[in-house]
Amino acid sequence: MRNLRILSEIMPWRPLFTGKLNLPTETFAALIAAILVIPQGITFAYLAGLPPEYGIYSSIFVTLFASLFGSSSMLGGPNTAVAVLIGVTVVPFSGRGSPLYIDYVILLSLMVGLIQLFIWLARGGKYFQYLSPAAITGITVGVGIILILSSLDGILGLSPSGTLFFFEKIYVMAGDWHTLINPYSFTIGITTVITGIVAKTRYPRYSILIAMAVGYIVGLVLMGIFTQVNTEIELLGHVPFQILPLSYPKMDLEYLLVGISMLPNALTIALIGLAQSMVIVKNLRSDTDQPVNADKEVFAQGIANTLAAFFSSFAGSGSFNRTAVNQSLGSKTPLAGILSAVMVFLLILFFAPLLSYVPMAVIAGTLMLVGIGMIKPQEIARLFSWTGELSVFFVTLFSIVFLGLQSGLIVAFILSVIMFVLSASKLEITIKHVNESVQIRVEGHLFYASIDQLSSLLKRHRHENVLLDLSVVSYMDLSATEAIAKDLQKRKPKETTFVIVLTSQKLLEHFEQRLEGMPVQFIQHLRTQ
Amino acid sequence: MLHNQLTKPGLLFTPLILALCLLSFDSFSAGPPTIETLLERSYLDDYHSNVVFGYRIVTETETYGARYSGNHLRCTNCHLNAGRKPDAIPLNVAGMYPKWRSKNGRRNGIGLRIRECFVYSLDGIMPPEDSPEVLAVAAYISYISHGETIGEAPAGRGVPTLPDTGYDPNPANGKAIYDKNCTHCHGNNGQGIPGVPSLWGMDAYNKGAGMANTSKAAGFIWANMPLGQERSLTHQDAFDVAAYINMQIRPGDPRKSKLLKLFEAITGLAD
Repeated sequence: MRNLRILSEIMPWRPLFTGKLNLPTETFAALIAAILVIPQGITFAYLAGLPPEYGIYSSIFVTLFASLFGSSSMLGGPNTAVAVLIGVTVVPFSGRGSPLYIDYVILLSLMVGLIQLFIWLARGGKYFQYLSPAAITGITVGVGIILILSSLDGILGLSPSGTLFFFEKIYVMAGDWHTLINPYSFTIGITTVITGIVAKTRYPRYSILIAMAVGYIVGLVLMGIFTQVNTEIELLGHVPFQILPLSYPKMDLEYLLVGISMLPNALTIALIGLAQSMVIVKNLRSDTDQPVNADKEVFAQGIANTLAAFFSSFAGSGSFNRTAVNQSLGSKTPLAGILSAVMVFLLILFFAPLLSYVPMAVIAGTLMLVGIGMIKPQEIARLFSWTGELSVFFVTLFSIVFLGLQSGLIVAFILSVIMFVLSASKLEITIKHVNESVQIRVEGHLFYASIDQLSSLLKRHRHENVLLDLSVVSYMDLSATEAIAKDLQKRKPKETTFVIVLTSQKLLEHFEQRLEGMPVQFIQHLRTQ
Repeated sequence: MLHNQLTKPGLLFTPLILALCLLSFDSFSAGPPTIETLLERSYLDDYHSNVVFGYRIVTETETYGARYSGNHLRCTNCHLNAGRKPDAIPLNVAGMYPKWRSKNGRRNGIGLRIRECFVYSLDGIMPPEDSPEVLAVAAYISYISHGETIGEAPAGRGVPTLPDTGYDPNPANGKAIYDKNCTHCHGNNGQGIPGVPSLWGMDAYNKGAGMANTSKAAGFIWANMPLGQERSLTHQDAFDVAAYINMQIRPGDPRKSKLLKLFEAITGLAD
């Protein structure tokens, strides 16, 4: 049975699985996704310290495999956090962009993919679903802010300030803006952003396309008048493109040593990538009626990253922003992802020379638009009704912006679990006195953190008849049973009675086993709903 | 045996120890390791891997520097022997920068100098100052400048300045000399063959390049051409050939032909 399930998760997506297939919608969504992913892939390749063509290869092959083996309209491919982490991991071993660096990135991608496949085999996907909605909002807004801040470099035409923390960057800019900021890049970037914002109110579907086109034309005009040499407008440049960029991870003793040193970071990248994909999966499952299979998506991510190593690609994960666009365009199946990979391929094949004159400021402007789109005021406003959720949101947001995505996700995860434990350990207890006996009705989970409330109550009513109503308790652990048993031992069985009311057969068996021979009676009534 | 070693936690630091060994090895041997030994190593620190990347850009520009170059020339076509041959614009000039240059009327760092090569000689796009390509070539230049004195021109810097011959350059004579000596490699129409650069046409250096200056080109030709029989031409012959080559059609100066340059780029899409 289990083998059969694993086999079904390995199977690639086939159109037969989904009854109705809206081909024009999927195709249009794929086209937009392809146009969006090209600049992102190139930017993320830059973040990862790789030449731009590797971003293109990743947008083709990682997207293709992630969708082919996936089960939903989630779009995989190059991802900000993963790209930044790849850069952080490999930079100590080699110079950015050098051939050796590329070998190490390919090795790292293979390691990430294999770790994710291992997590899939260990059925680890479910552990990623503990993130609370507030934490997810925090992560989304935090990533949005990071995108906006990182797009500032390109829009303002700043030179090497990538290593600066963002408030340092703003501080330096405030003091020296007239020498640091490139006015031409700024014009192009700000035109792109404003066009995007204006276009979004009228043509939300095409707003990013319109913004890119306008920014591109403004760039061409500026370069036509003032020349690229004098304006120093940063261009995308020629993207050398191979039709089948086969590669393989090199293996010898020295690569092995570097691989071992990269292992902790590979683990982090694998977990961060999966965490992001699982957040998207969770969103898709609650917002759409797609047949999303979390374990299948874990497998898809793992196999996509593993195969990435053989197609000159770097590891990726599910993408928040592209999936959001894809969903808003009405895509419902993995077909959009598969088609978008094909379209990236065709676009690059036929329009690569056009792309080489795209100013980086336009790409940065697009990223800023995506970042702005990720900050949704109404979603944040909704959180204001509850302090707990609000604090989770703000702590998550703060740690992502100031400590980085990596630590931010860990903080979000821990906070979500803490909030869950806190809320779960609160018992709702109602006490009623009915002719000489005390009725204690318990709601909530009975476990080590919550049992104290109940046991102190039982102690107080030790000399009375007690009817303990556990009919709505669904979970109970060993320490809770032991606490009740301890109380029973101290009772005088001849004077008082102790009755437990239960519904679940499991709990009844549990009690009968533990409290054998104790002065207790059970009433089981099955709830009819 | 190997397996036992690898399970030791201390081995996590092995790359660090290895790097320290390499560093100490480098400091004991005379001068920096040669580029050939660097190419063979599979473990390199940040600086040396940039040096190797820079060397690859210089020797195989059409592959490793393709992002910003616009033609099929290689750096090593003019900076002969990967910038290590005197009198052929050697690249061991890191100590000369930053300096003021009349070409753009400002103080130039080595980064700007490299970027201008991409724009003029490679007829491409000006890369940003912090692009990996520029950083790598800068690393390579400082690597081969090892041992030179800062602020002092290294021996054989640039190209020799030929003395005034008293005659104007004669392109007609230049054509005769070109047809006799140069067509084997550079072709009848200056188109070149794989490994030998085009001298004119739309795949050659543009009018803003240093080679477009006839006296510089003449100095280079006299000191280095024909390859293997350098200094066989007279000074006047070198001037004549240089004038003939620079008379031909080639891409415009990207600073002057503003809209034209853009038009060239867009019509270039067709082929």
